[in-house]
Amino acid sequence: MLKLNTKSKKPRQWKAYFAMTWYAFLAQTRNPASFAFGFIFPIVFISVFGLIGDQERTLTVGISETTEPNQVLTVLEQQKYMELQTGNAKTLKQQLKEGKLSGIIEIGDHKVTILSSTANPVEAQALASVMEGVIAKTNLRIAGIENPYLTLYQREITGRDFRYIDFALPGQIGFSLLSTSIFGTVFGLIYLKRSLILKRMFATPTKALTILIGQGTSRLIIALIQTLLILTIGVFVFNFHLPHGLTTFFDLMIISTIGLIAFLGFGYLIAGLSKDDNTAAPLVNIITLPQFLLSGTFFPIEDLPSWIQPVAGNLPLSYFNAAVRIITTEGGNLTETMPYLLGLAAWGIIMYLIATKTFKWE
Amino acid sequence: MAEHKKTLKTSKKATPTKSKKNEIIIVKKLVKKFRDFTAVDRISFSVRRGEVFGILGPNGAGKTTTLEIIETLQELTSGKILVNGIDVKKNPWEVKSQIGIQLQSSNFYPELKLTELLKMFASMYDVSVDPIKMLKKVHLEDKAGSFANELSGGQKQRFSIAATLVNKPKIIFLDEPTTGLDPHARINLWEMINEIKKTGVTIVLTTHNMEEAEKLCNRIAIMDNGEIIKIGTPKKLISDLLKKGFKREISKQKASLEDVFLDLTGRKLREE
Repeated sequence: MLKLNTKSKKPRQWKAYFAMTWYAFLAQTRNPASFAFGFIFPIVFISVFGLIGDQERTLTVGISETTEPNQVLTVLEQQKYMELQTGNAKTLKQQLKEGKLSGIIEIGDHKVTILSSTANPVEAQALASVMEGVIAKTNLRIAGIENPYLTLYQREITGRDFRYIDFALPGQIGFSLLSTSIFGTVFGLIYLKRSLILKRMFATPTKALTILIGQGTSRLIIALIQTLLILTIGVFVFNFHLPHGLTTFFDLMIISTIGLIAFLGFGYLIAGLSKDDNTAAPLVNIITLPQFLLSGTFFPIEDLPSWIQPVAGNLPLSYFNAAVRIITTEGGNLTETMPYLLGLAAWGIIMYLIATKTFKWE
Repeated sequence: MAEHKKTLKTSKKATPTKSKKNEIIIVKKLVKKFRDFTAVDRISFSVRRGEVFGILGPNGAGKTTTLEIIETLQELTSGKILVNGIDVKKNPWEVKSQIGIQLQSSNFYPELKLTELLKMFASMYDVSVDPIKMLKKVHLEDKAGSFANELSGGQKQRFSIAATLVNKPKIIFLDEPTTGLDPHARINLWEMINEIKKTGVTIVLTTHNMEEAEKLCNRIAIMDNGEIIKIGTPKKLISDLLKKGFKREISKQKASLEDVFLDLTGRKLREE
C-alpha cells in the first residue's frame, strides 16, 4: 500500500461527482416526461390557482323586500365583501337552502335574526361574526356616540387581502418538490438499474455512493429551478406577496433545499426496495397521495377531521408547507420555522437510514 | 469439502508475485456460490498479455459470472484472481481503473449524445479524452452528435467498445459482443477487435459463435456447468478431437449460406 509504484490509491471522486451531476441534469432536461412533470405541470397548476385567487369572496345576504329602511340596513350597506340581495321571503329561503345565499337577515324592532343553512356552514359562521360588528356599530350610532372610547369596528383585520394564491402557491412548491424527488428518483433510478446503465457505471472506479449522490444533486438542482419558476410566475403574474422581498426568497430556497433532501430520502428508499416500475408504483402512491391530500397542499389541515389532524400535521410535506407559510403568509423568519425544519431533517434521517439498509443495486 | 479446504490452504501459500510476466490474468480455484447453487466451480486459468482469450459455453455455463468476478462487479466466494498482478479482492478500485468493460446488452443514457457519454465515462475514470478521436477508432465520428438509442445494433456495440477504451485499459472484457448482429456488422466488429488487439490490449470475450472464436481467439476455454472442460488454441482443440477419431457426418461444404448472403449483399460494412 505504501509503495508508490503500485498506485493503489483510492480513486478521486470529485470529478466523477460533478460529471455525474451535470450529465444526469442534462439528461433530465432533455427527457420529455421529466420536463413536463417538472416544468409544464407546475406552471399549469399555479395558473389555475392564480385565477381562482383573483375572485374575491363575498357574502351574499338576503334581505326581504318588505324591510323598511333602517339604521341596521344603512350600516349593512357600508360593509365590504357583502352583497345584499332583496327579494321575497319565499324565494330567498329557497336560495338559502340551495346554498346560493350566505344567510338571510331579518331586522325586527329590537332584534336582528340571521337565518343560515347547513348548506353553507362556513359562510354562515362568517356572516355571524360580521353581523356582530354591524350590530355593535348600529348600537353606537343609535346611542349617538360618534367618537366612542373604544373603536373597534373601523379597522381591517389584516394588512393585505388574503387570496387563495397566497395559500396555494406555497403548497404548490411543496407538491412539485415532492413529486420531482419521489417520482423522478424512483422511476429514474429503476430505469438506470434495469437498463444496466447503473451497472456499467459500477464498472468504473467511481463509487456507487458518488453516483447516487450525483444523481440526487441533479434532481435537487432541477427542483430548485422549479421552485424558482413557480415563485417567479407567482410574484410577477399573480402578485404573490413576498413579505420581505429577497430575504423571503432566499429563506424559501433554503427551506426548499432542506425539504428536498428529506424528500429525496423517500425516493431512494422506494427505488432501493423496488425491482421494477410495477413494484414501485404502489409504494410511490402510498407515500405521495396521502401527503398531497393531507399536508395542507390544496386546503388547510384544520379543515380535516380532528382525528386525522395529528397524523396529517406530522407528515414531511406538512412540515414543509408549514415552514413555507410561516415565511410567506405570516412574514416570519427562518428561526420561527426551526421546529418544522428539524421535523423535516428527522424524516430525512430516518429515510436515509432505512434506505442504506435496504437498498438493492440490481 | 475437506479437499476443498486443503486446496485453499495451498493457494494461500502461493506468493502473489509468482505469476509469470506474460500472464496478465491469473484465476486460481475460483468458486462462486449463490446460496446452494454453484455457478462457478473451482476453475483455474490464465490469460496471456496481448492475446484474445475466448470463453465459450452454453447459456448458464458460468461465463458471465466468471467475467463479472474478474471485473470486480461480483464478489468471489473463494479462490484468487490477479489482474495485471493486482489482487481483485484486495484492490478492486485499481483493477477497475486498468480494465475496460462491455456488458452483455449494454445501454447508455438515452438523452445524452455520444460525445457527452464518452466525456462522462472519462470523468468517472478520472481521465480526460478527446471524444471525437475515440469515436474515430470505432468509425463513428460522423455520429458524434447522435444519441445512443439512435444507433443501429452494430453501431451501438462499436460505441460501447469505444466506451471501454476511455481509460486506456490494459485489458478489455467483451461479453457476447456480436450476439444479435447481422453478418456485416459482425465481421466489422471482428476487424475492430483485431485493430484493438494490435495496439497491445489484451481482450477477453465470451461468445456463442464458433466461427468468431476460431477467427478471433488465440486461445479458448470451454465452460459447462461452472467448470472449464478444456483450454487451448482453436487448432489444438480441433486436432485433439480428430485424434479421438471424430469424423463429420456430412462432408464440409465448400461454401456456407452465410457466404452466399455476404456475397449477395456485399462484404463491406454498411452504414445501417
